[in-house]
Amino acid sequence: MKRSFIRIVGGLIALLSLFAALNFSTTPAKAETTYQIATDSTFPPFEFANSHNKYVGIDIDLLHAIAKDQGFKVNIKPTSFNAAVQSVQSGQMDGVIAGMSITKEREATFDFSKAYFMSGVVMAAKPNGKVTSLKQLRGKRVAVKTGTSGAQYAQSIHKKYGFKIVTFDESNDMYQDVLTGNSAATFEDSPVMKYAIRQGTKLKIYTKPALSGPYGFAVKKGHNQKLLRMFNNGLADLKANGEYARITRHYLGAKGSSDTTSDRTFLGLIKQNKGALLSGFEQTVWLTIVAIFFATLFGVIVGLLGVVPSKFCNGISTTLIYIFRGLPLLVLALFIYTGIPSLTGQKIPAFIAGIITLMFNEGAYIAAFVKGGINAVDDGQMEAARSLGLPFGKAMRRVILPQGIRIMIPSFINQFIITLKDTSILSIIGIIELTQTGKIIIARNLEGFKVWAIVAIIYLIVITLLTWLSNWVQRRVRL
Amino acid sequence: MNEKIKVKVTNLIKNFGDNQVLKGINLEVHDNEVVVVIGPSGSGKSTFLRNLNRLEAPTSGSIVIDDTDIADPKTDINKVRENIGMVFQHFNLFSNLSVSENIMLAPVELGKATKEEAAKQAKELLARVGLESKYDATVQSLSGGQQQRVAIARALAMNPNVMLFDEPTSALDPEMVGDVLGVMKQLATQGMTMIVVTHEMGFAKEVADRVVFVDDGNIQEQGTPDEIFNHPKDPRLQNFLDKVLNV
Ligand SMILES: Nc1ncnc2c1ncn2[C@@H]1O[C@H](COP(=O)(O)OP(=O)(O)O)[C@@H](O)[C@H]1O
Ligand SMILES: [Mg+2]
Repeated sequence: MKRSFIRIVGGLIALLSLFAALNFSTTPAKAETTYQIATDSTFPPFEFANSHNKYVGIDIDLLHAIAKDQGFKVNIKPTSFNAAVQSVQSGQMDGVIAGMSITKEREATFDFSKAYFMSGVVMAAKPNGKVTSLKQLRGKRVAVKTGTSGAQYAQSIHKKYGFKIVTFDESNDMYQDVLTGNSAATFEDSPVMKYAIRQGTKLKIYTKPALSGPYGFAVKKGHNQKLLRMFNNGLADLKANGEYARITRHYLGAKGSSDTTSDRTFLGLIKQNKGALLSGFEQTVWLTIVAIFFATLFGVIVGLLGVVPSKFCNGISTTLIYIFRGLPLLVLALFIYTGIPSLTGQKIPAFIAGIITLMFNEGAYIAAFVKGGINAVDDGQMEAARSLGLPFGKAMRRVILPQGIRIMIPSFINQFIITLKDTSILSIIGIIELTQTGKIIIARNLEGFKVWAIVAIIYLIVITLLTWLSNWVQRRVRL
Repeated sequence: MNEKIKVKVTNLIKNFGDNQVLKGINLEVHDNEVVVVIGPSGSGKSTFLRNLNRLEAPTSGSIVIDDTDIADPKTDINKVRENIGMVFQHFNLFSNLSVSENIMLAPVELGKATKEEAAKQAKELLARVGLESKYDATVQSLSGGQQQRVAIARALAMNPNVMLFDEPTSALDPEMVGDVLGVMKQLATQGMTMIVVTHEMGFAKEVADRVVFVDDGNIQEQGTPDEIFNHPKDPRLQNFLDKVLNV
């Protein structure tokens, strides 16, 4: 029985290392002519996943057409707007196209292409509502999306009009905040707002485009100048040959791409997004499994360092636990993904950055209860073992750990479930796991409530399965 | 008892922080000798025993066992401990292992015996302490007296030539004390060198070659059982005996 348990664990470890090897090696290698381009995952009509879970939009189509025209390749990586901008700054990505306004501030750190689109900020609010102009915003809340020109516009006039700014990371959350009445209005780029309204968002545009802003493709200042030149040349070609007009009309013309006619019931939504949900779910499960494996490894090692008879090792253990338990997961994820590469110049794929984040954070919790579990074993057990002549390591392995592990098992199960839930935070660095998949689907169809309900149920199902599995293992180990 | 010196303790001092618990103990124990240590609680008896196999490190002084100085950094303390069996007040049987596994663990792990040899030896030792039927039992299913007898068997499995007992019967219900003392008497008869901390004065009178009275971190008086119990000189010893014998 004990042997078969070991075999199962051994098999699992082999499987994981195989997967890890596969996964890490399939991260695209940068060929001569393939550029890594970051984009926002949810900014229709410029970039969004269509119902076949394929990325489309004005930015995406333009970029592909320009690449074809100029003879280079692109690998477009959707992530959040902030992460996209930061990943170019840190050198993780070669360029960013994300409905990004060309501003003086940004020109300090980016080189922009010629403007490929002219946008402007409009105010949208509930139709027939009380707010129809900027003047009526006094004392109310205005929803904006972090880092957008809408946010910048709000910042520039909020004193004058006396409103309070609330910021969101996702357009849909911002619209919802207005629809539920928490916020009185939202400031959004006009094409984005128009597209959302066409998709069925029950908001109305009340102002003329202000702060009319050019959108540009950006590279890190002083880097990838050839890419920038090719973009400009390609853009000129597309404008000349009518391809540019065709693309913008496709998304903004009277008959824009719209799926408001599709089935919006729960079953309909699940059916349409089966592929996306499944791959998000798979990503979540793999993240969880690989993260648990490495977090357990890290946690057990750090936990053991905390109980060996060496003040130096104990100190290292305590410090590591203190640091990684103290840091918010979100901060740690952003630090590892964008902070470290900008220091070392070494790119880290998001999946690996995610695993490292979870390994440290969850591992610190595991280390704490490994240490606690071992300390909870009666001192007399160690003394009896040592008095027989058993060295510390043997006494630990044969007597203390088997008893400590029994004490730790409930904490392990708990930590596994927490890890599963924490993978959702990694959506911030652009890993398209289940939560990020939900955000992307909602960006397209704006069915926030139903899609989040579906995502929540999927999490609950996985957690239930994981709990059953853990209980089964626990029963077997108890014996 | 012969003249070979098995354990030689010279000027042993042990401090816990500012608290000096052992204040310069000198003691020689001969081969095959049974020394019983008595004294009030808190006087340092356990600390003394635990220094002998270095579960506590002496602050100063020397401890030589079988001509090996255990304070010498070159000494492999694990090797020394193989020859010193220890029995604890609270038994300390390994609760994750069965009775036989408790006895077999050290000989097998330390390469003293194969699994088969160790199993055979475990059977013999269990028979010796009257528990042959408990070979496969879990520790939790045993009474205190049975656990302590298994603990003695476990210590004997390493074939030690000195045995330390720290109040082996203090945690037992009275009706179980006899069984454990019986096993210890049998060991003494077979010539084991033993240092026994106990409050069982009957055992001391009957089995001890020498009785040592410890109080306040020092040996205050020592002698044959007759000298200690029938002609105590030290007033503190007289006082102590008054208390333990006239309850
Ligand atoms: N690990 C320790 N740390 C600090 N003080 C201790 C430790 N072990 C024992 N002592 C102290 O040493 C003194 C003697 O204890 P002990 O040797 O257990 O006495 P006895 O066994 O004679 O009852 C007591 O005052 C006790 O509090
Ligand atoms: Mg004691």
